[in-house]
Amino acid sequence: MRCMIFSFLIAGTTLMAQTIDRTKPPETPPVPSFKMPPVHETKLPNGLSVVLVEDARFPLVSMRLSFQAGSKFDPQDLPGLAGMVAGLVTQGTTTRSYRDLAEELTSIGATLDGHASPDVFTLGGSVLSENTAKLLDLLADVALNANFPENEVQLRKQNAKQTLAAQRSQPAFLANEKFDALVFGSHPYAFFSATMESLDRMDRKSIVQFRDTFLLPNNAVLLLVGQLPPRAETLKLVRDHFAAWREKQVPAAPAKSFPESKRQLVLVDRPGSVQADIHVGRLAATRTDPDYYPLVVGNAILGGGASSRLFLDVREKKGLAYDAHSELDRRRDAGVFTAVTQVRNEEAGPGVEAMLDNLTQMAKAPVTASELTDVKNYISGGFLISLETQASLTDQIDLVNTMGLPRDYLEMFTSRVRSVEPDQIQAAAQKYMDPGQATIVVVGDAAQIEKSLEKFGPLEVEKSK
Amino acid sequence: MKFAFLLLILFCAVIQAAQPVIPIEKYALKNGMRVILSRDNAVPVITLYMIYDVGARVEEKGRTGFAHLFEHMMFEGSANVPKGMHFKIVESNGGTLNGSTHPDYTDYFEVLPSNKLAVGLWLESDRMRSLAITRENLDNQKEAVKQERRLSFDNRPYATAIVDRWPQLAFQNWQNSHSLIGSFEDLNASSVEDVAKFFKTYYAPDNAVMVIVGDIQIPETKKLIEQYFGDIPSQPKPAKPDLSEPSSFTPRSEVYHDAHARVPGIIIGYPGPIRRSRDYYALAMLDVLFTGGPSSRFQLNLVKGKESLIQYQAEMGWPFASSSDYKDPGDYAMFLLFKPNYTPQQIIDQAQEEIAKIQNDGVDAKELDRGRTLLRSEQIISLQSSLHRAQLLGRYEIFDGKPELINTNLENFLTITPAEIQGVAKKYLTPERRTVLQILPAPAPAAQENH
Repeated sequence: MRCMIFSFLIAGTTLMAQTIDRTKPPETPPVPSFKMPPVHETKLPNGLSVVLVEDARFPLVSMRLSFQAGSKFDPQDLPGLAGMVAGLVTQGTTTRSYRDLAEELTSIGATLDGHASPDVFTLGGSVLSENTAKLLDLLADVALNANFPENEVQLRKQNAKQTLAAQRSQPAFLANEKFDALVFGSHPYAFFSATMESLDRMDRKSIVQFRDTFLLPNNAVLLLVGQLPPRAETLKLVRDHFAAWREKQVPAAPAKSFPESKRQLVLVDRPGSVQADIHVGRLAATRTDPDYYPLVVGNAILGGGASSRLFLDVREKKGLAYDAHSELDRRRDAGVFTAVTQVRNEEAGPGVEAMLDNLTQMAKAPVTASELTDVKNYISGGFLISLETQASLTDQIDLVNTMGLPRDYLEMFTSRVRSVEPDQIQAAAQKYMDPGQATIVVVGDAAQIEKSLEKFGPLEVEKSK
Repeated sequence: MKFAFLLLILFCAVIQAAQPVIPIEKYALKNGMRVILSRDNAVPVITLYMIYDVGARVEEKGRTGFAHLFEHMMFEGSANVPKGMHFKIVESNGGTLNGSTHPDYTDYFEVLPSNKLAVGLWLESDRMRSLAITRENLDNQKEAVKQERRLSFDNRPYATAIVDRWPQLAFQNWQNSHSLIGSFEDLNASSVEDVAKFFKTYYAPDNAVMVIVGDIQIPETKKLIEQYFGDIPSQPKPAKPDLSEPSSFTPRSEVYHDAHARVPGIIIGYPGPIRRSRDYYALAMLDVLFTGGPSSRFQLNLVKGKESLIQYQAEMGWPFASSSDYKDPGDYAMFLLFKPNYTPQQIIDQAQEEIAKIQNDGVDAKELDRGRTLLRSEQIISLQSSLHRAQLLGRYEIFDGKPELINTNLENFLTITPAEIQGVAKKYLTPERRTVLQILPAPAPAAQENH
């Protein structure tokens, strides 16, 4: 038997050696699929949703406690408040100082951090699986009993101002800030970051009030992924730590009202800039819109990765830029499509023109069959690769929990991408990519580039703050 | 095969139960190309990682930035892969890819769905065999590199000071001190002949290590590798540049005015020990106590405590390496952003005071235990990705000839004693061995005219 296998292998080798053809890529089967691990869901009487997922690959457990409490819930005069609370919530509790928390976390091989996105406020971390109960204890303490010591509040405010000053020196920050203000209008999604003024106004009282208003069990999902203790034991641990947490009425999210998209062109002056940062885009589909999958596929053809149209045209063919790409910002209540590049000052005009031409082309003609096949593989392969780490798998499941997505979102993602047709992409491009309704923001040295932008329509020039 | 099996048993005995053991099979092709295979079928993904034993420190005067420019050329096509198709072929097979240039090595990777392995092997072997070296490609990539420099360095705070100025201050041997990204003059001067010579000298199979990690079948993989790479001819082993620094050291300090910086920063460095010496492990552990995790000394004493620092980072080999790819001569260096109400001298003194505490009072056993747990958990987290495993295996082979360090090296850090940490603080981190670069905000030239 062994002998037979041996001779079979030899025969196989000879055959392959004879037929190897270096002139074209080898034939390979389609991208394989990956079965998502089963998800166990339950709810505590206080409204806390609990989601458990067994991932036996590593001796680790990842945790996310996510609230509908992102920066869109910041009060009008306090942009950045959710982010401030997220930074401070791990800096001390009624029974543990910052030092206590930090030393306990390190000694159990754990991390625990707060983060506020536009939609969601998340306490997230991971721990060596043997210490799961201990991290759960710290997570509950931070969520329920953070006490926001006055010295920590003052320190964070000071440091946030310094960080903000540093961020304001980055052209991409200035571009994103202006772009969000234009496309989101008076909706709080336009709160791109804290301001010096809002940081001055924040105090312990407004911070505690945000926590008391939004960090509630009936506004949260607790997700545990990894080598978990047996189900009953895990659920008991969760109940022991979170059952006494009191539920409360949660305020509604801000109304989904956004300005009509229109063509507008703004130059943010950044004297001394050696490059022009170009951002072109507009409001687009959310993950739950019927247009979503055509937009995802179209966006990848236009500007996803190094074989996209923007990369090949703007970087490779025209040599204008090191990078040119497009992206989708997928918020719960609005999507945003943006195409981005950076070119040297003297190429600012040709740079904008090349970006607009590529957008127009997406709306004007259907994508080719080979572009479509290639990009579908690109998206499904990327999705597969993203499941390698537990943190990334956890974030994907957390996304389903927090963004109001159907339960089969991850399971069906690849097949939904695969079913997109060229006419659907063109329709989505006409709706979301056509530059007729595009907001164009350029950050650069006005003295050097203003003239070259005038041909793209009425130009508003602003000083960078 | 038997060899790999024996190694596995050995690793199991050394490592704690919770530590995942990475299987390793290492062998060489007849042309000298070293191959490391590591199977793991948790997700149908593989990483194909090529690491070449050449980095920016081999560059010659008048050719700064050449190793990096050459790395760009590797994506410009080869005999059977048309220009621009390398990216397209990987991405249209569901993969991601990149290349990067370091002081002591250059690496390239493809992460692919596991049944696409042959595509990666075809691409990597074709460019190793028959890179397309043309004037058109070279001119095009010179422009791309210049654009990369404008975007990633010249237009960003701190970056130019870190990449151009810091090495010149920290090192005296030109091989170590010259700019890795290079000057526009040197980039312009590079010729097609330079590229061809560099390719022939350094991109031979016997100067490379190939690592494949992930969902593979070992026998089939070996066969494919032989088919694609087996007949690429080897080349004479290139000479290694002399990287040695003069034995005497004078402390130095400089101020750099950065038009893009809004917050003052400071780099403090000390020449470090020989790679994988006992001192190297001890200094790396000391760095964990200084800057690792939320309970590190810099966090508790300087960000909190004195409230002087806003951000900090420190590494063996900073800014271009970390402990896994640190190669002497190199500095243990830290980069600190601080509040403008402190003077740079106060920040230098505060950092030196933290060092003095270790020199005088040593290390608390509990604190060291926390540092060890932190390293152990960080290792488990980082080993999840097949790309990171491949990078570590490749680097341990190129630097040490020992890919098995991926499983055993942690022990070398964990067995460091408080006395050894105190010892390296005294031996290496003294003001007499210190290099300092202050990076202070300067008004932008145009803004100056307006005010």
